[in-house]
This record gives sequence, C-alpha cells and structure tokens, in this order.
Amino acid sequence: MAYTEEDLKKELETKEYEYGFVTDIESDTFPIGLNEKIVQAISKRKEEPKWMTDWRLKAFKAWQEMEEPEWANVKYSKPDFQKISYYSAPKGKDKYDSLDEVDPELLKTFEKLGISINEQKKLTGVAVDIVVDSVSVATTFKDTLSKKGIIFCSISEAIKNHPELVKKYIGSVIPQKDNFYAALNSAVFSDGSFCYIPKGVRCPMELSTYFRINQAGTGQFERTLVIADKDSYVSYLEGCTAPSRDENQLHAAVVELVALDGAEIKYSTVQNWYPGNKNGKGGVFNFVTKRGICHTNSKISWTQVETGSAVTWKYPSCILKGDNSIGEFYSIAVTNNYQQADTGTKMIHIGKNTKSTIISKGISAGKSQNSYRGLVQINSRAENARNFSQCDSLLMGNKCGAHTFPYIEVKNKTAIVEHEASTSKIGEDQIFYCNQRGIDTEKAIALIVNGFSKEVLNKLPMEFAVEAQKLLEISLEGSVG
Amino acid sequence: MLTIDNLHVSVEGKPILNGINLDVRAGEVHAIMGPNGSGKSTLSSVIAGNEAYEVTKGDIIYQNENIIELAPEERANKGIFLSFQYPVEIPGITVTNFIKTAINSNLRARNEDEMPANKMLKKIREIAQLLEIDSKFLSRSLNEGFSGGEKKRNEIFQMAMLEPSLSILDETDSGLDIDALKVVASGVNKLKNKDNAVILITHYQRLLDYIVPDYVHVLHEGKIVKSGGKELAHELEEKGYDWIK
Amino acid sequence: MPLADKLVSSFLAFELDIDIQSPVHNIRTDAIKSFEKLGFPNKKLEAWKYTSLNKVLKEDYTLFSKKKNVLDFNKVKDFFLDNTESYKLVFVDGFFDSFLSQTSHDKADVCIMSAALSKNKYASVIKKHFNKSIEKSDSLSQLNTAFSKEGAYVHIPKNIVLEKPIEIIHFATGNESALMLQPRNLIVIDEGAQVEIIESHQSLTDNPIFTNSVTEIFVAKNAHLDYYKIQNDRLTSTLIDNTYISQQRDSNAKIHTFSFGGKLTRNNLNYYQKGSYINSTMKGITIIDDKQLVDHHTLVDHANPNCESHQDYKGIYSGSSTGVFNGKIVVNKIAQKTNAFQKNNNILLNDKSTINSKPQLEIFADDVKCSHGCTIGQLDQDAMFYLRARGIPKKEAEALLTYAFANNVLESVNIPSLKSKIKKIIANKLGVKLGFDL
Repeated sequence: MAYTEEDLKKELETKEYEYGFVTDIESDTFPIGLNEKIVQAISKRKEEPKWMTDWRLKAFKAWQEMEEPEWANVKYSKPDFQKISYYSAPKGKDKYDSLDEVDPELLKTFEKLGISINEQKKLTGVAVDIVVDSVSVATTFKDTLSKKGIIFCSISEAIKNHPELVKKYIGSVIPQKDNFYAALNSAVFSDGSFCYIPKGVRCPMELSTYFRINQAGTGQFERTLVIADKDSYVSYLEGCTAPSRDENQLHAAVVELVALDGAEIKYSTVQNWYPGNKNGKGGVFNFVTKRGICHTNSKISWTQVETGSAVTWKYPSCILKGDNSIGEFYSIAVTNNYQQADTGTKMIHIGKNTKSTIISKGISAGKSQNSYRGLVQINSRAENARNFSQCDSLLMGNKCGAHTFPYIEVKNKTAIVEHEASTSKIGEDQIFYCNQRGIDTEKAIALIVNGFSKEVLNKLPMEFAVEAQKLLEISLEGSVG
Repeated sequence: MLTIDNLHVSVEGKPILNGINLDVRAGEVHAIMGPNGSGKSTLSSVIAGNEAYEVTKGDIIYQNENIIELAPEERANKGIFLSFQYPVEIPGITVTNFIKTAINSNLRARNEDEMPANKMLKKIREIAQLLEIDSKFLSRSLNEGFSGGEKKRNEIFQMAMLEPSLSILDETDSGLDIDALKVVASGVNKLKNKDNAVILITHYQRLLDYIVPDYVHVLHEGKIVKSGGKELAHELEEKGYDWIK
Repeated sequence: MPLADKLVSSFLAFELDIDIQSPVHNIRTDAIKSFEKLGFPNKKLEAWKYTSLNKVLKEDYTLFSKKKNVLDFNKVKDFFLDNTESYKLVFVDGFFDSFLSQTSHDKADVCIMSAALSKNKYASVIKKHFNKSIEKSDSLSQLNTAFSKEGAYVHIPKNIVLEKPIEIIHFATGNESALMLQPRNLIVIDEGAQVEIIESHQSLTDNPIFTNSVTEIFVAKNAHLDYYKIQNDRLTSTLIDNTYISQQRDSNAKIHTFSFGGKLTRNNLNYYQKGSYINSTMKGITIIDDKQLVDHHTLVDHANPNCESHQDYKGIYSGSSTGVFNGKIVVNKIAQKTNAFQKNNNILLNDKSTINSKPQLEIFADDVKCSHGCTIGQLDQDAMFYLRARGIPKKEAEALLTYAFANNVLESVNIPSLKSKIKKIIANKLGVKLGFDL
C-alpha cells in the first residue's frame, strides 16, 4: 500500500473537510425553479429525442402528485424544490473529444480530488467518467474499452448513440414513479454514466465515476445505468465529493443495474459528500435510489462506505428475479457531529435457490444518528432461498444514536433466514491496551474501527479500500474526549 | 532505571497501595509476589499509566524522569512494557497489523524512521520462531478466541518485537501449562540483557524456577513487607503467605 | 353503523349504567374523545403494517351483554389448573361470576375492578395506578379505558408472598350472536411482594368474540411477578391484549405468552423500567395453523442504568397461518450498562404460512450490550431422518422436534400443573399423543 503512516499523520492534522474547495470555472446554470418548461429545457439543451422528453415529462407529472417520504429516521428541513437550479454545466464546449480540451481549472479540480486522469491512465488502469455538477465532463479509456465492445460513456451520449439500449432499460429497474426522489431524478436528471458490457465479456479494468457538486445552489441529479449482458462481468466504482457550503445542497441520484443471465456486477461506492460543519450547518442531502435486477445465475454485489452528507437516505437493493441469483450488500456508514444516516438494503427473493448476504456496520459518534433499515423478503415461490444478515453498531460517546430496523418477511417454508445484530462500544480497556503498546488514542480508535469494519473493507477494490480507511479516520476525528 | 518512592494509589476512593518503595536497575530481574488482593496488578497498571487508578501520593521515576503525569502511550514510547494479566480482544485487527502499528507508533514518537516492511517481516518471523508461534496465529484477530496460553504467548511476542527497557509481566504464568510456561520463560530469558530490566508479578513460585530473579519482594495489603534474594520465593512456597502476615 | 361509531355513540348509554361521579370518570371521558379522534388502527400505521383488523371490525358486535349467564363448573373445569390450589377470578360475558371465583382479602386483595373503582378503601391505589402507564396514542387502549368497568383487581401488599397462583379467566358463553368484551385488569405488587398469575380468554361457542383487553401491572421495588398468558381460544375469537408493565428498582417481571388458538391475536407487551437493576423477561411459544394470525409486539424501554431485558420468542407456523414479531428495544441515554437480548426463532411448516419479523434496536447509550437474533428455517432434516430411522412416525417426529425447538421457553414455567397443561395443549395442537416427558 502506497499510503504511509506519514500520510495518515498529515490527514489527521487536516481537521477540516479536505475536499471542501470550490473550483472557479464558468458555469452555464439554469434559473432556479421547476416546472414542465424547465424539464423540457433540460431535455432540449441535451438535444434529446422526443421519447426521452416524453419520458421525463411523465416522470414530472407523477412527481407533482407525490409526497416527500417521512418514514426514515432522519430530521431535516425539507428542501424547497423551487429554489434549486436543475441544470448547471461547466461552460465551454458541450463535448470533449479529448482531455486536452477540458478546462484546465477543471483538470486541477481532479488533481485536488486525487484523480489525476493521466496518472490513472498510466498506472492503475481504471477507466473514469467524471461528472461535475450535472454534466459528464471526461471519460477516459474509451478506446481500450470499445475494442472489447464495452460502452462506457455519459448517459447523454448513450441516449444519442445507443437509444435502443437506453430505451429498453431505463426505468426498467426503478420506474419513474418508484418514489419521490426517483421521480424527481427521472424528470430532471442532467447526466450520469452509462455502461454496457457485451455477452461473455469480462471488463478488463475497474470502471469509475467521480461525482462532484461544484456550483452553489444547484441540485445534482445524475442517472447511472449499468447493463451486464449474459455471462459478463464488471466492477464499477463511484466516488462523491462536494465543496463546503453553508446551505444544504441536494443530491438525488438514481442507479439502475441490470445483470442478465450469468452476469456479475460489483458496484462500490465511497460517498464523501460534504457532511456539514461541526455545528450541523450545511452539508449535502443525499437521497439516492439504487437498485439492481438479477436474472438467472447472475450476481449483484453492492459495497458502500458512507462517510459524508448531512442526511443520507439510501437503500441499494437487489431484486433476485432469476433462479440461483445472488445479491450482496456490504456497508459501512459513519456518522459524526450532526450527521444523520438512514441506510440499508432490500433483498427481494423471487427466483428459486436465490441467496443474499447483508453485512452492515454502523459507526455513530458526536451527536449523530445512524440507522440501518433493511428488508429481506422471501416470496412464496422462492424455493430454497437463503439470507444471512448481520448488522453491527458501534457507538462512540453518549450523545449519538444507533438504530436497527430490519424487516423480515418470509412466505416460503424452505427458506432459511438468519439475522443478527449487536451493539457495542470501543472499550476503555481496548484503548488502554493500545496506549500501553505506544499507540495514541486517536490511532487506537482508528485501529479498532478498522477492525470492526474489516469484513466490509475487504470487499472493496484495493485503491478504494485505502481511501475508505483514510476516510473512516478523518470522519471520526475529534469524536473522543 | 525505575525508582518508586512512597507510592499511594486509590481506586474510587479506596486505597489499594499504601507507600510502595522499589528500586530497579538495568540488568536486574525483580519478582513481586503476594496473595490475591495484595495490590500486585494495581502496581503494574499504575506503572503503565492506567488512568482508572488515582495516585494520591508519591512518585515514579523512570530513567531519571518523573512519569506520574505521562499518558500510557508516552510511557510505552519510553520503553515501558506491560504484559497484561487479561489481554483484551480487538476483533478484526490481526496480530501482525497490530504489532506493526505499535512499532511504528513508538518509532515515530522517538523521531526515528519507521521500520521498512521487509525488516519488519523478518523480525516477526524470527521472534515467532523463538517463541514457537505458528504463522497462522499471526493472521488471526488480536486475542479474539485465543486460549489463555495463546494470549500470554502473544504478549511475550509483542514484548520481543517492541524491545522495551522495562518489562512488567503481570501474572504471565497463570493459566499456562508447564510446556507453555517453559517457552515463555525461555523467550524472556533470551531477551534479557544488561541494559533492560524485568519485573515479574506472580502469585506462584513456579515461574521463578525458569526466570530466576535477582530480588524477590513480598506485597501485602499494599505495602512491600519483605524483600530478599531468590531464596525468599522458596521460603514463601514452603511456608505460605500466612507466614508474612 | 361502523363499529367505531357504534362504540362512540354507545358511550352515553354506558354512562347511564355506571357511577359518573367516580374520579375515574374524567379519565373515561377523555379516553373516548381520544378514541374518537384516533379510530381503529389500520395497516398504514407502522405498528399495524402486517395485521389488519378490517374483517374483525365488520361483525355487528353486541357491546354489553344483556344478562348474566351462569356456567356450570363441570363444563368449564378443564380450563382451570388441575389439582392446584388457586385464587380464581372468573368473568362470564364481561360480568363477574362469584360462584366460579375464589377471591381473597386476607393477605392480599384478589378481587374485582368494579369494586376497586367504586369503594373508598381502594381509592388511593386507583388514584396512584389506574391508567397511569397506558400509551396515550394507542387507540385500542384508549377505547378500553373509556369502557373500563370490570376485570381483575389484584393488590399484593409489602413483603407478601402469595403462595397460591391467581387464575384469571374471561369466558364468553356465545349467548349473543357476536360479542365485544373489554376487560380491564390492574395488578399492583408492592415492595418485596411476589405473585404468580395465569390469564386466559375462552369462548364456549363459535359465535364471534372480539376481546380488547388492557392489563396494567405495577411491580414495586424488589417485587417479583410471574405472569402466564394462555391463548388457546376458538378459531372464531379475536384477542387484542394490551399489557403495560411498570417496574421499580431491583424488581423482576416475567411474562410468558403461549399462543395456540384464536383467529387473530395481537399482543402489545410494553415494559417500562423506572429504576436500576431491573430484570424484565418476556418469552413466548406460538404454534398456529389454518388461517390463524398471531402478532407479538414488544417494547422494552430501558430508561435507567444497570438493567436487563431478555426476550425469547419461538414460532411454529403451518397451514396458511401468519406470524408477526415486532420487538423494540429502546436504550435511553442514561441507561448505561444495559444488557438487552432478544431472540426470535421461527419454523415454517407450510408453503402458505408466513412470518414477518422486525426486531428493532434504538440505542442512545454507548456502554451497553444489546443484541438480537432472528432465524427462520425448517426442522432439521437430519434429525428428522434420525428419529424416523428409529421407527418414530413422521408426524410424531415432527412434533417431537417442534417440542424440542420450543422447549427452553417451557422450561422456565414454574407451576408444574401449568407446565403439563401447556404440554398437553401443544400435543393436541400438533395432533399427536405424546407425553413429552421422554
């Protein structure tokens, strides 16, 4: 691992949210407010075909009749949807043919984010699609991928160049009316990533999207669609950051995964949106809908490390429709200061011999509230379904809360479902033991937290695992004493 | 190396140690014996800096510095090692990872360079061999599910890795069968040299057959009531603790 | 007229029948207002997500039985404990039956609510405890309060150990074509006192019965309670059992719930810990089939340090039956050193049976040990084979393993005659003739 103790020390000295800078690039931003005209204008700006415009309008109609959900264990003042600008793109050319055309300021942003595109190109072999505010600005490695028939581009490009695929699959896992935020996203999404892996192809590198909110007062509504055709494999990484701002920024993404027969999708997220300051001011509202559908013999694995956002509302789910399909959910959610997270998963067993595993690790510190909410549903014809769930909470200090809301619904007698949950704390004896070996308290906590989260960290691709470990430490700074 | 001067310690207002005096020089092995509840473990915890214990009076001078106010990790950085009577479990952290973190934390605190990975690995292997530790053991979670003997052996392994100046072995022998005890003792003996010192805290004389002390002290009701050479331990074994009361 | 409206409008008629000068009458009036506002619970409420009362509420229930019906002891003796001396509080169609009952005022008050609500000597206890632990937002509890009139009243004074158990049985004769019953029980156990109570609801015909029962229990310092609920009613009966237990320091309250009968049974079991070093235990065995539904909702409110709670619920479901378990453990900020454990193990024996389980933890203190485990599975097939290979028929083998699965809950029943009675019910329910004392 390239990451040294020295790096860690530096990280620990950086008490502020380290990605909280604003890049001064000229943006093309829509006026605030939302109505049919704005939806049409977004679609027009993106030169979309009529079917897409209609699809958006249908979503908008549905959204107008929906109410913001209130069942989650989070409290916040609801965003005023008429005070948000629904489109913001870095000004400049609409399309970038190569990286050389990208605004140098923007490239600097990526450097600060730790994504040096050129470096990545050479070293790690990760293909990256970068979404700043609402628009996909750069996709790397296109050529290498296209030789294998893999399509990896922004969703706007896909709508233009691969309409048959988009038309067939968009909204097929998460319908426009699925929920309030998904409907909103369906109406106003401005960009996002699209990925198609052809039959039998094993994607040779990690595909990665980096999301960044930059412009003030904008909402980010990206839409990701990943289709893994029969017997294919892809590992997909998603990273998120935002500048520190006083007001709350809204992020309402939709991610749809389609794993056709025999395919495998591994989707990893390191979410580090701005969490607000230590008094709970500002921060991102992260209201995300993520769901995958598994056809016969396929597998979808969600791994997430959630350390950012003021409020998180997110349940990456699997519909295990095909026989023998497998769904997995590995999650670490850390909340500190005034953060609130309500996150978990749904595993819907429909096919025979379907299996699901849920490992959730919640760490609460400061005055934060951390909830696991999950559903395991075994339908009546899902013979021999298996589920194992484990939800562990770690509390640090006495002002935070840890909550578990697991829903288990079983309608088939051949099902075997096991659910375990526990709550523990970092023992003073554990800290003293580490101290005695010369490890200071902050580092001791990092060690213990890493140990607690290990089962999930192990599921992340290497580059992400290192970053995630660093994030865990930074997120918990100042949480003791 | 270590001078304890008139040390008084309380826990939650209740006095446990009532004026301990002790001098330990480099190259020496001291054994502190005493019946249950005499304050043996309290003494070791206090030297290591456990904040659950309140020093009400007296000083602990280590390498010419009063360490009473120092945090536990600062004392560890200066070379004080405590082998715990009941080592804690830390799930998810491997023995290797833990010792790596500890060594580098100590080196950093002393403004020294971190140990390169290959050197670390070599040292881990050598010491594991010395203490007859299976390499599988090193990739297990720290103390989690370890047997009593494994926990104690792990403590000595860490001691060997950290190369402390002053080692305090708190009841390291209790719970060990004779074979494990021999391995642990031979490890301690091999690590022993003219520059470091060892304090053995024990209830039983058995350990002292394998690690021979220069001095034996008997602790009773928070005070050292008798000091002598290694023969004192045999005398105690024969006559029992009632003899000193 | 919908049942809710019918209930609200008959409150006036109810008032004609009772002493409206009584100090508790204001409580009743507030409660009916509250019920009027809340209405019956529906599936939109999180707490009623899996259980619908719609069908139950459609019946045209008689709200007050017109006359006292007399029961012959020989016809109902099977519902009492065999060969066991006990105090008995027996109610028939909502009226107290003094012939079947055996009350007491010697060492303790084992008597009835109507007396306690009207007589001066009980006024201070009523004032202190009546309606004090009720969840105000629970419409069914409010409804019961509004019509509270009759039920069991038990008061065990300081340091009294009641050596005989108390049996509380609510019979329904079926003389009305459909009857709604709302018994209201109050159990007060003073400091250092100890008591065992067995409660059941039993209808004697197949006419629909809808029982909405509330039991308030106060367990003072160092007091002990052992409470057993036997739910083995006919398949035409619905029972909503709201039980509220308020505990003081060093006290110990155990509730066992055995659910085998009834069409729909909803248990709302709420524990409030009001001191330190409290032990709260709730255990249950549910064995149902056909179209039965049993819904266990438990709440343990850990509000003080150094307390414990233990929950162990076993469920065996066959036919098209549905089981619901919703166990909520709340550990408040000051409740450090709490140990809270919850287990819910279920076996589904039929493709049409369903289990919905929601074990829920809400933890606000850091130095606690809390865990819950929930499993859903089948009988161990290897064990089945082993038993059958020894010549035990399939049905018996199944019954044996089911029994073994539920056995640890039965183990903690302290009254031998009750234990054997429950074993008999289980054997009946499983359709086998086994002694289970193998």
